[in-house]
Amino acid sequence: MPVAEIARVPKGASVDPGTDIAMDAGTFSGDIRKPAVIPVHRATHDWQPLAGASLLERLRVTGRPRLKADPELRRELREGLESGIRCQSPGKPTGGPDVDTASCLSAPVLVTKDRLTGVLACEAHYVAGEFGERPPTLAMACGALMDVLFRQLITVGGIDDPLVDGLAALQIDDRQDDLASWIERLSGADRIELRTELERQVQGLHRRWPRLEPAWLPRTQEAMRVGLAGGAVRLSARVDLAIGTPPEGEASVALVEIKAGARRVEHRADLHFYALVEALRSPAPPFVVATYYTRTGELDVDPVTEELLVAAARRTAAGARALWNLARGAEPRRSPSYLCGRCVLLPDCEPGRTRPARPGAGRARRPEGRATG
Amino acid sequence: MRATQLTRALMAPPTASVDETWRTHLRAHLSSAITPVVERLPCGEQLTVTLPLLRQAIAHPDSLAHDNVPFAWKPIFVRRSLGLAIVDACVSGRFRSPAEAADPVASEAVAEWERTGWRTFHWEPWLAGLRQGTRALVLAEAVSWATVLWASLDWKALGQRPQIGGADDQWVCPAPRTVRLKGRSELRLPLVGGPARSSEVGQITAPVALVSVSGGSPPLAWSDELSFLALVAALRSPSRPVPARVAGLWPDSGHHLIVEIGEEALTAAADRVGATVSTAVEARLSVLERT
Repeated sequence: MPVAEIARVPKGASVDPGTDIAMDAGTFSGDIRKPAVIPVHRATHDWQPLAGASLLERLRVTGRPRLKADPELRRELREGLESGIRCQSPGKPTGGPDVDTASCLSAPVLVTKDRLTGVLACEAHYVAGEFGERPPTLAMACGALMDVLFRQLITVGGIDDPLVDGLAALQIDDRQDDLASWIERLSGADRIELRTELERQVQGLHRRWPRLEPAWLPRTQEAMRVGLAGGAVRLSARVDLAIGTPPEGEASVALVEIKAGARRVEHRADLHFYALVEALRSPAPPFVVATYYTRTGELDVDPVTEELLVAAARRTAAGARALWNLARGAEPRRSPSYLCGRCVLLPDCEPGRTRPARPGAGRARRPEGRATG
Repeated sequence: MRATQLTRALMAPPTASVDETWRTHLRAHLSSAITPVVERLPCGEQLTVTLPLLRQAIAHPDSLAHDNVPFAWKPIFVRRSLGLAIVDACVSGRFRSPAEAADPVASEAVAEWERTGWRTFHWEPWLAGLRQGTRALVLAEAVSWATVLWASLDWKALGQRPQIGGADDQWVCPAPRTVRLKGRSELRLPLVGGPARSSEVGQITAPVALVSVSGGSPPLAWSDELSFLALVAALRSPSRPVPARVAGLWPDSGHHLIVEIGEEALTAAADRVGATVSTAVEARLSVLERT
């Protein structure tokens, strides 16, 4: 697995868009420059988020060679996934080609980043939560609004009133109807809190997010689908931003996910899932996957390597296998995880109740933004 | 398949042709298959067969019996027509890429409607009344859709400028109830090397390749579905050549598939139309029984 990197540049190194480094407007991935060198006299220990050209440079220059278009790698990833899905879950005979009998399920097993994370954390919690509607929260609203506001910024280059613009975009989306109504009904104090946070994050975006050349073909909410095991399993993803011309001989696309909340470890796995799906549907994988945190300006960047893709395939196969078994009516396994504290099954769950307490568990804490997208 | 490969495959000389006698036979065959089925519908009932209906009849036949939801504009309904206008503006050289073209193209459409009252795309008044957040979402959907099409082909390698969008192909089956077949393609590429024909307006028309863009992944019967577009184009007018091939792009899953159009492909598509009409008529009758 590649070592995850977090963009941390000393104070003074962050620059306004277009003022420090002239970027190539030809292709997003072309004419790669060497990473910017931060003069020693400018470096301090105060961290500042990247901005403008430096942020762009961080996305474009990964320091790793870009993967070539490799049909053999694609075939191996696909076969590895399919054979991984075909292995039956522990406690049962292994190796049975049960996924081939797709007709026993009325619909393909849908594998998304959220389903993967959920089912791998605890199958029982996943099943219990699958049928319940999560009540909206301010963090959830902030995440959904920042998703559409980011899209607006990329597309038209500006945002007037974050709450008004964002709400207008949510209201036209059938899937966000309930959330939009909930936001409209917010009390004065909650509305002010949401508006203040949105304005703060949008100001940060305006200040730091670089202008993307149209020639780099930026596109938002790009859907990605891959069918496996004869269509019995479907990998599905929708990435907030894809930049770069589609690959011909070499990886040329960057995928960026936007998060309005706090950094979480599972966001890394989400990125790797995106890289895998893109690698399976395109001639070459993306050259980089990244998460941009609008709350703090943090940027997590992962160069895409074969090792990353193989590890993502293993995790995806394990999750898809679990989802497959659950769809066939298998008894969900209970696993202690970070979800236990808010699980409705906890009172009757032995593994959950006996899990070792983490330091700080149970301490009152201000809710942080939900990861959306 | 990469853009250069797809373009080359699309522009290759036609490999099959369909003669006029067979085309006449195809019309008669389809009419005789449809007539006894639609006769069961009450007088005045109409049926429009489109590619989405073909897909729905196989994937979700039960949904055909549901009441239609009243139409309301949504970004997803605008993205194709605006997306095609955006691609057209890029192909003409006005803009370098869809991201650059989207806002001016949408604004020009609205301005033209405000000036003349003529709605080229139908959505102009709706778009004109949107708040900035919603308008941006509409543009974003169109940019993403257009970018995929723009990046799928090597436009410089196309011999002649393709027809981008345009009116749907239509054919009305001479049956006791109106059955209209409508085929919608995103692109029509004139090919070199096939037999040219005179069109209704006296122009010489070369054989064409059609390009269709769909969401999701190709279904099992993708070949019949693409051939349906060629079938409607073939039935529409005897003076136009039958499309030589149809390419289907499924950007979400990265699939580019091509079907060469010959008698076999058209027969399969006609059979699929017949089956779809049967399913749709059954669904319509069940709705009428309920009411």
